Amino acid sequence: MIVVKDLVRQFKSGDRTIKPVNGVSFELEKGSLASIVGKSGSGKSTLLSLLGALDKPTSGDVVVDGVSLAGLPDGKLTEYRRRDIGFVFQQFNLIPNLSAVDNVMLPMEFAGVRKAARLQRAKELLEQVQLDPEKHSRRTNRLSGGEQQRVAIARALANEPKLILADEPTGNLDEQTGEHIIELLSSLSRDHNTTILVVTHDRSLAQKTERCFRLQQGRLTEEVRTGSRR
Amino acid sequence: MSVLARSVGNAFRNKIRTAAVVAVLAVAIGLALSMLVANQAVGAKVQELNASVGTTLTVNPAGGQGFEGGGEPLTTAEAETAASVANVTSVVGTKALRLQTATTDSTTGTGQQTGPGGGFGPGGQQASVSTNLTAAVDAGTLGNRNNTSGTTGTTGTQPARTLPITATGIGAEVDSTGKALDITSGTGLGDYTTSEAKALVGTSLAEKNSLTVGSTFTIQDKTFTVAGIFDAGTTFGNNAVYVTLPEAQTLAETPDELSTMIVTVNSMENVDSTKTAVQAALGTDKADVTQGQRNLETAVSSLDSVKNISLIAFIAALATAGIIILLIMVMLVRERRREIGVLKAIGARNRTIGLQFVLESLVLVALGSVVGAVIASLASGGIASALISSNTTTTAATTTQRGGGLAGAMPNGAVPGGGMPGGGQGGPFGGASQLLTSVTASVSPGVLAAGIAAVFAVAIIGALVPALLTARIRPIEVLRGE
Ligand SMILES: Nc1ncnc2c1ncn2[C@@H]1O[C@H](COP(=O)(O)OP(=O)(O)OP(=O)(O)O)[C@@H](O)[C@H]1O
Ligand SMILES: [Mg+2]
Repeated sequence: MIVVKDLVRQFKSGDRTIKPVNGVSFELEKGSLASIVGKSGSGKSTLLSLLGALDKPTSGDVVVDGVSLAGLPDGKLTEYRRRDIGFVFQQFNLIPNLSAVDNVMLPMEFAGVRKAARLQRAKELLEQVQLDPEKHSRRTNRLSGGEQQRVAIARALANEPKLILADEPTGNLDEQTGEHIIELLSSLSRDHNTTILVVTHDRSLAQKTERCFRLQQGRLTEEVRTGSRR
Repeated sequence: MSVLARSVGNAFRNKIRTAAVVAVLAVAIGLALSMLVANQAVGAKVQELNASVGTTLTVNPAGGQGFEGGGEPLTTAEAETAASVANVTSVVGTKALRLQTATTDSTTGTGQQTGPGGGFGPGGQQASVSTNLTAAVDAGTLGNRNNTSGTTGTTGTQPARTLPITATGIGAEVDSTGKALDITSGTGLGDYTTSEAKALVGTSLAEKNSLTVGSTFTIQDKTFTVAGIFDAGTTFGNNAVYVTLPEAQTLAETPDELSTMIVTVNSMENVDSTKTAVQAALGTDKADVTQGQRNLETAVSSLDSVKNISLIAFIAALATAGIIILLIMVMLVRERRREIGVLKAIGARNRTIGLQFVLESLVLVALGSVVGAVIASLASGGIASALISSNTTTTAATTTQRGGGLAGAMPNGAVPGGGMPGGGQGGPFGGASQLLTSVTASVSPGVLAAGIAAVFAVAIIGALVPALLTARIRPIEVLRGE
């Protein structure tokens, strides 16, 4: 269960300050699948980085399963990112000189998973995101954008996090592969009780989530759904 | 993929740059190792020279050295006085004789056998006695010149184109400079304090006269048996005979007299103070006390400065290697800021990332060390020689002159140990040239290993600073553009 309380993040650009996140509050049940939509530059990535403890808010707090991130020291925040969070970056942020498998194995290495176990799991995950097996050991800077995106998703799933934060996870994928990824994420929320928050421009993806939020002028509003989720 | 594997991989990410970094590191490390090797080699040499200077003092009659000068001869009583001085471990008296080859011509010999004060040379210390041995050294130009000048006091025709042989009565199994005798065959003389018709003969003299252990020869019509053959290492030193001290005193007909005394001091540190004490005990009017091979000290002190220079250069080169690592790693950390942010964003601990960078720097240092060690093993000999020759030029020049002087004096029949520095040992000049060759030869794996360990220690320190800088990079870096 994630509780976001009056979150504010402001940046100084020159003489004026901008507040892409300006008083955001919401709650997410464990195992729920939600999406955030909003115009480019509206602050979606900024909000996600606050939830993923990559950045610190100017004010406000994020409480994850009763633990306030604001009160945690850096070491604990690192542990939170390692154990509890799976982050899919908008720009993938893979380690370019490492292979796809090695990239997926990294978070498991940091978590102390034994080598044989992490190799096996990395391969399974890459299969789940439908990466061609012959590309598993290819260096990621020699993969296409869509392939890199799928490696990034596999890496986010590596440590079986309880919260997955995905920034445009289907942005570089064809419709069919995108559908598959959405299916993968929703099965995780259904079967593994993983909480998933997706930032997207993709209306069809947003439609498929249980809840949908819109970020506008630094504030989050929930879009009211009439029909039932499919 | 482990941290180590990742570090090795990262070290080779940019191969051209890695090659350049390794090359620069190799030069610094190679220089550091060369300096260390030079330092060690020179240090060992200094020790060796110090040891060869030894802990012995030589006592000569006041105003006389060898066959030169006058004054009163030393006596056995004075030997006992010297022995009672603090820190003196032993006193060995020697009695020098000059053996003149008796020719078949029956009229010769008498003129040459007039005992102390007669014979060759102005000195009164050496008794000339006859022998049936022939000197192993050819007279040559120097010998003839010396003999001519040496016989100005005598009248009559010149019988001698033959050189005299040095016979020394010794109170212990040491040569006339106090060094232990190297007996190559046979045995020593046993008890050196009793009169016995046995002798030790130098290798070349033995060869010249076809003597082996058990052979006999005569001195002053007395038959001596060869107990052993010794090798003094020099032509002059091997043209000699040693008999027991009482035997020599009897032959010279001067029972209580000593030509020189060799005083052994218990340690290097006490040599100077003991020298003063012995001098005081014997009296300046009676005896001159000198330290053997004193002039080596100049060589030793200039070598000491070479040792210091090489130590400073070693530290400087080591520091350079450390700074190179520091700068390279700072650059790499800046370049991979974003990547470090990614690693943190996916949960890497600061220490994992720090370790990764330290290991990466060690990979570079290891490569640099391998190349550097090769450079060092090729260059260190040359560097050491260059350092030494530039620093000992002055010393070498002075010792060359001395060496020349000695070379002239030796065939004259000067009694070795009569205060002649380095007599019989090739002199200090021999020491200096020996030093150049032995320094070149000694690149020991142990020293290289120690040097490389030091390089690694410095590299870790150098890499630690940038590695700690990585802790300050925030994971949010990843969200910013490149
Ligand atoms: N470190 C920063 N310093 C200054 N301004 C920033 C910083 N990070 C983000 N911004 C600004 O905050 C605003 C929100 O940026 P953000 O990346 O969150 O937008 P976004 O909604 O993810 O956009 P997009 O859909 O294009 O990815 C932008 O105007 C951006 O310029
Ligand atoms: Mg964004």
